[in-house]
Amino acid sequence: VTPSEGARGGTGRQLEMESVLALRGLVLLRDSVEWEGRSLLKALIKKAALGGEQVHILGCEVSEEEFRAGFDSSVNSRLVYYDLFRDPLNWAQTGEALPGGPLGALQAMCERTDPGPVTVALDSLSWLLLRLPCAALCQALCAMSRRHACRGGSLAAEQLCVLGLLHRELHGPGPMGALSSLAQTEVTLSGTAGQASAHILCRRPRQRPTLETLWFSVLPDLSLDLQGGPPLESQPHPDPHTPQVDPASHLTFNLHLSKREREAKDSLTLPFQFSSEKQQALLRPGPGPATSRIFYEPDTFDDLDPEDPDGDLDV
Amino acid sequence: MAAVATCGTGAGSTGSVVAAGSKNHVTSFQRRGPRASGSDSSYSRLVSIAGTRPSVRNGQLLVSTGLPALDQLLGGGLAVGTVLLIEEDKYNIYSSLLFKYFLAEGIINGHTLLVASAKEDPADILQELPAPLLDDNFKKDFDEEACNHKTAESNIKMKIAWRYQLLPKMEAGPVSSSRFGHYYDASKKMPQELIEASKWHGFFFPEKSSSTLNIEPCSLTHGYIKLLQFIQNIIYEEGFDGSNPQKKQKNILRIGIQNLGSPLWGDDICCTENGNSHSLTKFLYVLRGLLRTSLSACMITMPTHLIQNKAIISRVTNLSDTVVGLESFIGSERETNPLYKDYHGLIHIRQIPRLNNLIYDVSDVKDLAFKLKRKLFTIEEEKEYTLNDLYKRLHLPPDLSDTVSRSSKQDLAEPSKLLGPGCGVMAGGKKHLDF
Repeated sequence: VTPSEGARGGTGRQLEMESVLALRGLVLLRDSVEWEGRSLLKALIKKAALGGEQVHILGCEVSEEEFRAGFDSSVNSRLVYYDLFRDPLNWAQTGEALPGGPLGALQAMCERTDPGPVTVALDSLSWLLLRLPCAALCQALCAMSRRHACRGGSLAAEQLCVLGLLHRELHGPGPMGALSSLAQTEVTLSGTAGQASAHILCRRPRQRPTLETLWFSVLPDLSLDLQGGPPLESQPHPDPHTPQVDPASHLTFNLHLSKREREAKDSLTLPFQFSSEKQQALLRPGPGPATSRIFYEPDTFDDLDPEDPDGDLDV
Repeated sequence: MAAVATCGTGAGSTGSVVAAGSKNHVTSFQRRGPRASGSDSSYSRLVSIAGTRPSVRNGQLLVSTGLPALDQLLGGGLAVGTVLLIEEDKYNIYSSLLFKYFLAEGIINGHTLLVASAKEDPADILQELPAPLLDDNFKKDFDEEACNHKTAESNIKMKIAWRYQLLPKMEAGPVSSSRFGHYYDASKKMPQELIEASKWHGFFFPEKSSSTLNIEPCSLTHGYIKLLQFIQNIIYEEGFDGSNPQKKQKNILRIGIQNLGSPLWGDDICCTENGNSHSLTKFLYVLRGLLRTSLSACMITMPTHLIQNKAIISRVTNLSDTVVGLESFIGSERETNPLYKDYHGLIHIRQIPRLNNLIYDVSDVKDLAFKLKRKLFTIEEEKEYTLNDLYKRLHLPPDLSDTVSRSSKQDLAEPSKLLGPGCGVMAGGKKHLDF
């Protein structure tokens, strides 16, 4: 995981951000009550539409008019909108609703896409997750990318982008974990002091996942303004590196030697080293008594036999 | 072994193998390995299956998992007829690599493969298998590494630790010309002709499922039923359970099931706590029955970190034979911990089976870590701060008090320090120094 550093500025950073935003596969936009994600979703849709991709939208949470507000006419004409907000259970029986409920709508959307770069926006995935069994939804999402890949050929798997808006507070760890394990990219929205940030976790197959943090804001015309770093006023200053754990900090023995101790250690002659000093000491008769003596006071319980001082003769 | 006993046709030879196996008492003596295949008539029928060997401890027929280090930890290999469950790491990088090693080993040995997945097409999985390392190429690389290591070691002044030089160094490299257990190069793909020459069956669940049936609770999910039927068909048709007497050449069926329990199989244990909690356990129970009566070995990877109901994990562990958990350091706070910087994650051996045995075949070493080098996946004993190391490295006199080593282990969860390979067995646990 490589956390991004502070502001680096310049076009290099801009290009890098653009590459991070080149999202493919299943992308989860996880927002929360404080930091809403629909504006980011719309900004990404606009970017995709202006980039010439087909854009299909499944609208469940807001009405079509509200969703289309903010897009200019060129973008609006390129959006293919499937409305599940007005009549999700098809009570009006108008015949224009997609069959099979929300799951059928997902499958139908997939079938109506032409080969080529496609962006599918699900507004929102939370709505679907609350109404469909999680396992079925996961299978449908995987089936979408697979069916698109089948039709397009070898590169087609890279050309489908499914943007799913997910509200973090609505779901427990189970469904969130299950969807995370399927997603290629997870964008978690948060921020500080009025500045929104996106933590982007990219999982590429067979590679280590990468984590990037982008500070951005969505302008009124729904274009993305990427900033270099957090605003200067707020300084929670996230520490890029956790404090290094010092393994030798809480030991009951001393691992570090002071200078004096080190000198003493180096000058120590070890018992098994047969140095020349030792050799001389052994050969030379010492200045002290030639033999060593043991002084022993026998106490009342001792039974010393002078002929058998060790007491090991079997008599 | 039940598989050996019931595997039909060669009743005489299997009987004698069982008899030979029963002569083993529960001792620490190991059997002498079998002589070259063909010379010992009682083994000839079964040892002649490529890629298998009898266990030196209890005569169980073993296949390699594709990773010789893992084979060593599991007591020689994976026993035929058992299930190896791999608990996936969080981003499913290393577990899928182990899965591919298992399949690649099957291709090299000429075993039949059965690959089941709900996420990827089995044909695509087979295209991604790592290439086998030829012995001479690898030996050259390894010798270079060993030389670098040795020069570094000799620079350290070992003033006191003269005894350590007498201990033999453990051979950690590949054994040349071993027919059991091969090394693979994770950066290259297996040659196409090897894949095409192999026999494999694929089960891709989204293609096999016809409709979403309404299943009543406490029964098997649709996906699991289909998979079990598929496995049973293959075993029966290809004669792995001895039912087809025309088959002269016995072979092993390697079953690999990927991401079992994930929502893509239609199972919701990863999504809710109160889901269909018995489906997976029933599947494992039936699978074990199928495996015990056939010449097959199975590796399953399961995203246990997603399972919400922890009781299911313990049931699943009990229903599997060997369980290995992978924990990678990606994204966790341990990644920046300098103690773990040499490694990519930890391996936990959660369960080892007792097959026709009263004792476990488990190794002494408990803390194991793995790292994925450019080419190889290596598993090493996690290096601990024991007094052995400090004595060796820092030239301090050893303190024989037990409390010191124990408290140091508690304060630092899993500290690391270089430990010579020769001391591995001795210092693996909290054992006293022996002078």
